[in-house]
Amino acid sequence: MSLASLSVNTLKPRLKEIKLSFYLLNRNKLTKLSLVIVVLLLLIAVFAPLIVPYPGHVRGETHPQDKLLAPSGTYFFGTDELGRDIFSRVLFGTRISVETAVVAVVIALLIGVPLGAIAGTMGGFLDELIMRITDVFLSFPPLLLAIAIAAFLGPSLQNAMLAIAISWWPWYTRLVRGQAVSIRERQFVKAARAIGTSPRKIIFNHVVPNCIAPVIVQASMDLGGVILTISSLSFLGLGAQAPIPEWGLMVSTSRQYFLDAWWYSIFPGLAIFITVLVFNLLGDGLREILDPKTRKL
Amino acid sequence: MILGKGDAAMKRSVWKRCSAPFFILFSVSFLLFLGCGANPTKGGGNKEPTIAIYAYYAEPVLDWDPSVEFSNGIIVMNNMYETLLRYDPENDKFEPVLATDYSKSPDSLSWTFKIRRGVKFHDGTDLNADAVKYSIDRTISLGKGAGYIWGAVKEIHVVDDYTVRFDLKYPAPLDLVASCGYAAFIVSPTAVKTHPAGWLSQGNDAGSGPYMLQSFKMGQEVVLTRFDGYWRGWEGKHYDKVVFQKIAETATRRQMIEKGDASFTLELPYEDVNALKSNSNVAIYVGPSLQNLMLYFNMAKKPLDNKLVRQALSFAFPYQDVVKYAGGNASLSRGAIPVGLWGHGDGLPQYSYDLEKAKSLLAQAGYPNGGIKLLVTYSSGDEAEKKSVELYKSELAKINVDLEIRAMPWASQWELAKGDSQGRQDIFEMYWWPDIASPYSWLFNLFHSEDTPNYNFSYMKDPAFDKLIDQGNESSGIDRRTATQEFITAQKMLIDQAAAIFAYDKKDVFITNRTFKGFKDNPVYPNVVFFYDTYKE
Amino acid sequence: MKSFIVKRLLLGILVLFGVIFITFFLTRVIPADPAAQWVGSRATVAQKQAARIELGLDKPLYVQFLKYVANLLQGNLGYSLRSHQPITRELQNYLPATLELVLLSTVFAVLVGIPLGVLSAYKKDHWLDHFSRFFSVGAVSLPTFWVGLFLQLIFYRMLGVLPLGDQQSMTVRLMYPLHHITGFVILDSLITGNFVVLNDALAHIVLPGITIALYPIGLVARMTRSALLEILNEDYICAARSYGLPPRMILWSYALKNSLGPTVTVVTLSIGYTLVNTFLVEAIFAWPGIGNYISSAVMALDYPAIIGVTIFSAIVYILLNLLADIVVALDPRVRI
Repeated sequence: MSLASLSVNTLKPRLKEIKLSFYLLNRNKLTKLSLVIVVLLLLIAVFAPLIVPYPGHVRGETHPQDKLLAPSGTYFFGTDELGRDIFSRVLFGTRISVETAVVAVVIALLIGVPLGAIAGTMGGFLDELIMRITDVFLSFPPLLLAIAIAAFLGPSLQNAMLAIAISWWPWYTRLVRGQAVSIRERQFVKAARAIGTSPRKIIFNHVVPNCIAPVIVQASMDLGGVILTISSLSFLGLGAQAPIPEWGLMVSTSRQYFLDAWWYSIFPGLAIFITVLVFNLLGDGLREILDPKTRKL
Repeated sequence: MILGKGDAAMKRSVWKRCSAPFFILFSVSFLLFLGCGANPTKGGGNKEPTIAIYAYYAEPVLDWDPSVEFSNGIIVMNNMYETLLRYDPENDKFEPVLATDYSKSPDSLSWTFKIRRGVKFHDGTDLNADAVKYSIDRTISLGKGAGYIWGAVKEIHVVDDYTVRFDLKYPAPLDLVASCGYAAFIVSPTAVKTHPAGWLSQGNDAGSGPYMLQSFKMGQEVVLTRFDGYWRGWEGKHYDKVVFQKIAETATRRQMIEKGDASFTLELPYEDVNALKSNSNVAIYVGPSLQNLMLYFNMAKKPLDNKLVRQALSFAFPYQDVVKYAGGNASLSRGAIPVGLWGHGDGLPQYSYDLEKAKSLLAQAGYPNGGIKLLVTYSSGDEAEKKSVELYKSELAKINVDLEIRAMPWASQWELAKGDSQGRQDIFEMYWWPDIASPYSWLFNLFHSEDTPNYNFSYMKDPAFDKLIDQGNESSGIDRRTATQEFITAQKMLIDQAAAIFAYDKKDVFITNRTFKGFKDNPVYPNVVFFYDTYKE
Repeated sequence: MKSFIVKRLLLGILVLFGVIFITFFLTRVIPADPAAQWVGSRATVAQKQAARIELGLDKPLYVQFLKYVANLLQGNLGYSLRSHQPITRELQNYLPATLELVLLSTVFAVLVGIPLGVLSAYKKDHWLDHFSRFFSVGAVSLPTFWVGLFLQLIFYRMLGVLPLGDQQSMTVRLMYPLHHITGFVILDSLITGNFVVLNDALAHIVLPGITIALYPIGLVARMTRSALLEILNEDYICAARSYGLPPRMILWSYALKNSLGPTVTVVTLSIGYTLVNTFLVEAIFAWPGIGNYISSAVMALDYPAIIGVTIFSAIVYILLNLLADIVVALDPRVRI
C-alpha cells in the first residue's frame, strides 16, 4: 500500500471524527456557552489596549482626587484608591492573566510532555529516574518554589510565571507517561519498532499525538488553575507589582478598602471567577466529547 | 439513556440515601448548638475580669529578653518592665519612674540617679541600686538590640542601696538614654541569675511593671495579668488583664473595634478612619508621632551620583498629593527630623513639586530629554508607601523618567540594599523612628558614613557631616541649644545634597472602642500603650 | 502488599531526600545573611562573627548539609531565626489549629460532595445535573480569599451572627480555660464536656471551614459524578438490574463502592493541597495555624523555618500519596 492511498484512507474517518466532535459540542449547551465566552475573553485580551475607555489608567496614570468613586456612567466599575478606572483595569487584566497563563502552561507542556513520553516509551531505568525527579517536584509546595524564585530573582509577574511553570510540569509528565505506557504496547508502535524506526521518531510521531487528547483537556483546565495561582501569588506580593492591573493584585489591594468600597473587590474577583470557570467548564466539556467512553450520541 | 423509564423507585431511593448524611449532619450540629448555654465547667469565677485587647498588626513580641528586644515587643515590654525615667516630648520633661531624681556633673560626664524605694519585682525581690547596675551592665555586655544606646557609659557605681552613678567616656544625654523605650529596662537580678542563660528569651518575666506575663502563643498573642504588688497600687479603675493579638488584616481590626471585640488598634487606612469618625462606638486619637517617611537616593550609583539629577528628582515628587492621599493624616516634612521633637527645623528649606524646574535641572545634568530608568523598593504590604511610589511614578513619567516599582518584604529589601553595589536599588523608601529621642538617631543611623551599609541607604560618605553630628551628640549632653544648632546645620547639608526626599511626618492615629478610656499617646514610645493608666467604662 | 508498601516507603524517603537537598541549597543560595538576622541589625562585626560560628555557617556547604540531615534524623528541625525557638515546637503550636480546620472542612466537603456527585450522575443532562456541575466547577474556580472576605462581610458585619475570625473568642478563652488533651480545641472540649468552649469554637470554625471546603466539594462532586457515570455503564450493573436487585443495593454495594477509588485519591490530594494553601484563608480569618506561620516566615526570610515547613509538608504529601495508592491498590485488578 502506498503512502498516498494510506493517507486518503485515513483522511475520511478522521474528518468523520472531527464532524462528530463538533456535533457533540453543539449538543452540550454548557460547553458551547463556555467556548463562546472563552473566545470572547481571548478577543478582549488581544484588543484590550484599543477598547479600554481610559488607556492611561492602565499604564500608571494616577488621579487621586477621583479616588474610590462608586460605579457610575463615567466609571462603570468605579475607581480605585488612586482614582483609576476599575473597568479599564479589569479589561486589561484579561490580557495579562490570559497571556501569563498561556505562557506558563505552554512552558510546562514543553517540559512535561516530552519527559513523560520518553519515560513511558523507553521504560526501564530512564523511566524510574524521570518519575523520581517528577515526584520530588510534585512534593514541593508550589508556593515555596515561587517564594524562592521571587527572593532570588526579584518578585515580578514573569518570575511568578516561571515559578508556576516549574511546579506544574510534573503533572503533565505523569499524565503522558501513563498514556504512553499503554500506547507502547499497541500494534502500530510495535510495528514501527520492528521496521527500525528511531526511538525519537517513535516518541514524537507516534506516541505523543496519541496521548495528546487528555493533555489538551488538562491544559485547558489548568489555564484556569494557573490564573488562580497567579492571583494568589500577587495577593501575597510575589507576583505582579503595582501598578500593573493584575486581578489578584487588585483584589489584594482592595482588602483594605472593601468595607466601604465593595466594587473594588467584587469586579476583579468576579473576573477571576468567570475566567477560571469557563476554562474549567470548557475543559470538562472537552473531556466528555473526546473521551471515547462517554462519547455517545 | 443509562437508566430506563421505570426507575422512579430508584430515584426515590437515591433521594432517601442522599439525604441521610444530610440529616445526620444537621441533627448533630443542632444538638451541639443546643449545648450552648449549658453547664460551663470551671473557670469564670465570681466577677468578670476587665480585659483590654490590643489588636496589633504584626507579631507582638520577637524576643522576650528586654535587653535585646528591638522591635514591636516594646508594646508588651513597657507594661511588664519599667525604666528609670520617662520622657514627655510635648513638655520636654522627664517623669520619674524607677528613679525619683537625678543630677549630673557640670561636664556631663557623671550622672547620679536616686532610686525609688518600696518597689518589688514580680518574683517578690526588692528593686535597688544593685538591680539597676546589674540590668544596665547586662544590657551593655550582651550588646544586642539597642544596647548601643549605653555606648557612652564607662562604668556604673553603686553609691549606696538607692543611689547609682554613671561615669561616662564622653558627654551624652543620659537622661534621654535612660528613658528610652528600648534596652533601658530594669530586670530582677535574682530571677535572671538563678536561671540558666537564655531563660528570659524563652518567655519568662523578670519585671517590676504593673502587668505580669500570664501566657503567650509566640508570634500570635500575649496575655498579661495584673501584678498585685505593683508599687503604684491599684486604687481606682484599671484593667485586670491585657491581651495583645496579632491581627494582620486591616478590615478585621476595624470590624473588631466597631463591634467591641477589641479595645485598641492602629494602622488603619485613613479612608477607614474617616468612615469611623461618624461611628459613635469608636473614638479616634490623632497626634504627632516621631515617624517620618523618606525616599533615599542611591548616591553611589549612576545616575543618582550626580547632585543635579537628585535635585531634579526632588522637584518631581508630588509632595502635596502624597501627603494628602498616601499619608492621609500626615504633614509635610521639613528636613530629616519630624515635627514634635527637638531638633526639628521649621525654617529648613524644602523642595516643592515643580516639573519645569525638574526638567531644566535634568537638562543641566546632561539629560535634556530624560531617558533615565530607576528602581525603587518599598516594604510590601505598606499601603501608604505603595501609593507614594505610584504617585511618584506617574509624575516621573511626565519628564520621561521610568520608575520601576518593587514591593519586597523588609528582610529582602534590606538584603538588596546591602548586597552587590551594581544590583542595588536606586531609591529606597522607608520610615524611621527614634531609639533615643534625639536627632542623632536619624542623622547617625541614616546618613553617617558606613563601610558596610546598615541603614545608610543613600550610601553617603561625608566626613564633614559625620564630624558635625558627632559633635551635636556630645553637645546634647551638655547644652540642648548648641546641639539643636548643630543638628539643623547638618540637615541643611542633607537638603542641599538632596540625599533623600523628605516626604512626610506621619501622625499617630489610634482607633479605640469608646469603652476604652484614659489613653494618652507618647510618641517617644511608638505604639506603646501604658495600660496602667487606662480603664474600662 | 507488604512489599508494595515497603517499596513505596523507600521511594518516598528518596523523594524526601531530594526535596531536602533542593530546599537546603536554594535557601543557601538566596541572598540573605542568617547570622545578621540572628543577632539583629545593630550587632557589632564581632558579634555577627560569633553568630556565624554558633550557627555553623563558617563550615563549607556540604558539611552544613550533612549536619542538617543528621539533625533531621533526630527530629531536630533547627531554630527559627526570628524567635530563637525550636521549629519543631513552633510547628507543634500551630499545627493543631490548621489540622482541625482542614480535617473538618474535608469531612464536610465529602458529606456534601458525594451526594451532589451521585445526584448529578443519576440525573445526567437534567437541569439538576447542569446546576450541580455548574456549582461544582464553580466551587473550584472561586478565589478562596474572595469568598472568605465576603462571607465575613455578610455573616459578621451585616448579620452579626458569626464571629470575625480566630479560633476562640478572647473572653471565652480567658474565662473558661480548656484542658488540653489532644491539642484540638473542638475534640478536647467535647472530651472534657466544656460546652461553652465547644459552642464558641464551632461558631468560629464555620466561616473558614466553608471557605476551605468549597474547593474539595467541587472536586469530590466532579470526581464522584464522572466515576459513577463510567461505572453505571458497566455490564455488571446492567446485569444486576436485570436480576431485579433493589436499586438501593445496586447503588451502595456496587456502584458507589467501586467509584470511591478515584474519589479517595482526590480527597487525600486535596488535603495535601489545602494544608499548604491555608495561608490565604488563615490570613483573612486570623486563624492561628501554620499558614500564618509560613507567611510570617516568608516575609522575614526566616530560612530554618521555611525549610522546616517545606520538609514537613513534603512528608505529609508523600504519606498522603502513599495512603491514596494503598487504597487504590486494594482493588485486585490493579497490578502492584
